[in-house]
Amino acid sequence: MKYQSQKVAYWFFATCMLLLALQIIYGFIMAFAHVGFDVLHPWIPFNVARATHTNLLIVWMLTGFMGAAYFIIPDECERPIYWPRLAYVQLIALVVVSVTAVIGFHFGWWEGRKFLEIPRPLDYLVVVDVLLFVANIGMTIWKAPKITTTSIVLFFGLLMAAVLYLPGMIPTDHQTHDSFWRWWVVHLWVEGVWELIMGGILAYLLIRLTGVDRELVEKWLYVIVGFTFLSGILGTGHHYYFIGTPSYWLWIGGIFSALEPLAFLGMAIYGLALAKKGGRNHPNRIALFWTVGCCVMAFVGAGLLGAAHTLPQVNLFTHGTLVTAMHAHMAFWGAYAMLILAIITYAMPILTGRKLFETASATFAFWATNIGMIAMTVAFGVAGVAQVYLERRAGMEFLDVQRELQVHFIGLILAATLFTSGVIAFIYNFIRYGWPVGDVEETPSSGAAVAAPAE
Amino acid sequence: MLSKSAARAFFLSGTLLFSAVFIWLTVDTFQRIPAQTNAGDLTESVVRGKHLWEENNCMGCHTLLGEGAYYAPELTRVYDRRGPAFIGQMLRDPEAVYPGQRRMVTYDFTDEQVADMVAFFEWIGRMDLNGFPPEPTIGIAAAAIAIPGGKRPEIFSQVCTACHSLGGVGGTIGPALDGVGDRFDRGYLMRWITDPQAVKPGTKMPQLGLTEEQRNEVVIFLSKQREAGL
Repeated sequence: MKYQSQKVAYWFFATCMLLLALQIIYGFIMAFAHVGFDVLHPWIPFNVARATHTNLLIVWMLTGFMGAAYFIIPDECERPIYWPRLAYVQLIALVVVSVTAVIGFHFGWWEGRKFLEIPRPLDYLVVVDVLLFVANIGMTIWKAPKITTTSIVLFFGLLMAAVLYLPGMIPTDHQTHDSFWRWWVVHLWVEGVWELIMGGILAYLLIRLTGVDRELVEKWLYVIVGFTFLSGILGTGHHYYFIGTPSYWLWIGGIFSALEPLAFLGMAIYGLALAKKGGRNHPNRIALFWTVGCCVMAFVGAGLLGAAHTLPQVNLFTHGTLVTAMHAHMAFWGAYAMLILAIITYAMPILTGRKLFETASATFAFWATNIGMIAMTVAFGVAGVAQVYLERRAGMEFLDVQRELQVHFIGLILAATLFTSGVIAFIYNFIRYGWPVGDVEETPSSGAAVAAPAE
Repeated sequence: MLSKSAARAFFLSGTLLFSAVFIWLTVDTFQRIPAQTNAGDLTESVVRGKHLWEENNCMGCHTLLGEGAYYAPELTRVYDRRGPAFIGQMLRDPEAVYPGQRRMVTYDFTDEQVADMVAFFEWIGRMDLNGFPPEPTIGIAAAAIAIPGGKRPEIFSQVCTACHSLGGVGGTIGPALDGVGDRFDRGYLMRWITDPQAVKPGTKMPQLGLTEEQRNEVVIFLSKQREAGL
């Protein structure tokens, strides 16, 4: 790597691995509860497992984005992190806050608002922590000799993610207002500014891995994030169909969210075309697998499967069923989990100085997780469609329908086992890389000379 | 061919334009929400119910307005579907209402808190939700078999059908009630729904907490369920 201070990224990535493993454990608790094995119910009832599962997801993804930024921004801007020690403080604070939140969930300390369960006092700490992070990245860019489009897009994605956390903290007494603001956070994150972050990280990876000209990559980056906001902002309307908001959202949400796959289609074409066009044969081929895989799976999971139930005529029946879980799993996996695993796979040889590119475990991790996730999505999808027909169309009682669906959850557990074996292989590979050594590469630029000393 | 600065201009102008439209629609929506959701009926009790809903993370299992988790029933229209008696019993002792089924956390709600939750569900159930949740249009509900005894009493449809079916409509946790009037007389049925444990110790049939009047209504209706009644 170029600068000693980039080493902090390793610790963010290690935290990701730990939180991902925990997230999967809670997923299994819920899947087993669905087939009737709920022995943990007295200690971890479903709503605790659910809050823990989704919040661990959000936290490990934010941790991954931060690690990625601490790795990418110095490289792009050609200067070390402005406050290297603050990066460590900020990581420790984030871990302490999220561990406190997760433990708190088990004792009923939460907000009970889907995805935003973190209790209010901790919300403030999260905001402060993210603002410290944004300030650190911002100062690094501000003081840099060179400012690239990729780093600016990444920075604004991270800044807006912090700002858009705030609407979720507006106190309300009205359920519709509550939902309305909650989607300002959740939707404008995952179908808005997180895609800016995604675009920035993808552009960086594609430039490094394929060797395609930066001007070309960054031009299309603007076009793709342009489409993201063009469709995604008003696409928030697909959450406003049935919550007590005016019916014009059926039109607006329907039309604009039907356009949302375009941004993801753009990303898929972008990834595939650049990988094909790239003249450079980068030795870290598995990182390119994850990068291109991310583009493709994001298009299928977030784009196509989202579009499959986003039209109001369809959503009327699928809203609030397992069809949503089907879309959510592959969307988060494709768009954000694979992206973070891609940057980790790219960064690890550079951080640790070990070149474990094409190991069997790395290849297994890629295929097992992806095939496992596709199979999980199919299991959720079949269960969801069956639920729609039996419960919504035929009017069977909820619990009777759930009994019919148990067989699909056995399928889900089998698929999730394959997925988990892939994640274990990924983590095994991560551990095999060993500690970050922080060898600073010799560069003719001013970079190495300016590099901060090791912590 | 598109230049980078043109691409940037596309991104910036699109984002600004659509953000502005979105904020304008948000303002308009907030002006229309009160009429659509009967905000005037938002009593203190309803608000307390809403906060109870959040403090206990009910949407960690249930959905409300279709939002939440998919482990437990959709509750948007639960006030109409199950009625206050059933909701109250469920909140006090869920495992007694659905014995041996998927478990719900038992909350130690006071009577006032139960009333707050019921008020909250009643308010939610009256919102104009642009057609959600849809009425079942095919299969079981639409093809319900004709039954004797006239119209089903409301309390029967709300409480009994959670577990029992009649004419093909209702749950399958307890036995079907078709022809139940042939098997039991009114006195037995009354003793049974008043205190199931006294009639058959160890039965899974819960005590329903119905009023005298409601029990009478159900028993009269059930005793008309005879094969020859049609």
